[in-house]
Amino acid sequence: MTGNDDSRLDDLFHAYRAACPDVEPGADFMPRLWQRIEVRHSFGFLFQRLARTTMTAGAALCVFLILLNFVSPSQSRGTPPSYVDALLADHTAEKTYYTEAIRLTPPAENPAADGQH
Amino acid sequence: MLVERELIERARAGDAPAFNEIVFAYRKRILGTISRLIGRPEDVEDVAQEVFVRLYYSLDQLRSAEVFEPWLYRLTVNASYDYLRRAKRRSESRMADLSEQQVVMADSLAGGRQEQDEKQKSQTREFMDALFRHVSEEDRLLLTLKEVEGLSLKELEQVYGVNENALKVRLFRARQRVLKAYRTAVANGKL
Repeated sequence: MTGNDDSRLDDLFHAYRAACPDVEPGADFMPRLWQRIEVRHSFGFLFQRLARTTMTAGAALCVFLILLNFVSPSQSRGTPPSYVDALLADHTAEKTYYTEAIRLTPPAENPAADGQH
Repeated sequence: MLVERELIERARAGDAPAFNEIVFAYRKRILGTISRLIGRPEDVEDVAQEVFVRLYYSLDQLRSAEVFEPWLYRLTVNASYDYLRRAKRRSESRMADLSEQQVVMADSLAGGRQEQDEKQKSQTREFMDALFRHVSEEDRLLLTLKEVEGLSLKELEQVYGVNENALKVRLFRARQRVLKAYRTAVANGKL
């Protein structure tokens, strides 16, 4: 049964080969082909130009940003370089704590200080 | 090879008349192959043109003139594959129509001999097309190249770029799937 089906399928493949006609190219085969090539060429050319322009603009932007990165630190010389450094340099908070601690001391416990004022 | 290596080299260098000569030399063969691969005479020329457009734009990628023919076959297989995928999306299976077509065939027996032959051929194409709809496009193309086009395993190796054993396995499995569809069609009385 299987072998029989196999050979029938082979026959069918042969019949299919005979049933598929030899297609003759039409008279306008070559002109149409060149037309299609041209259409794709013009589209490809347009795409290529667009891609090149985008790439150039991107590269220019990169260069500009790099230059900006070099120029900015030199212009801001004299200011603290970073937030952490600014915090370290600032001692006002510590002074405040001392001041507050002195002011909170009750006057009765420190008569000498009251006498001075 | 149908053309000289030197002609291929000239076409690769952008020589349009050389490219024209290559198209003239191969177009009939490519049209025949596509006709058997897709089974739709009305669309054959369109797919063939797509093959030659792809050839034009990828000639510079060809490693050497020696592998030109397998490479052209590969372009043909790829363009046919794309066509079949598009066609599959567009249409539904026509398996159910087969019985009706056979009835029409029987009715037209009184017609001329040539007309009968033509109708029988058309019926064979329709039946194979319906069988192939039950397998993937890859299976269809591989089986057609082997069983209908008569390509050897060596040639298929060059077209697909895989080794002989892998091809044998793929061919066996593809054939089994078509056989299954064939048996179903026979059991349903569609043949």
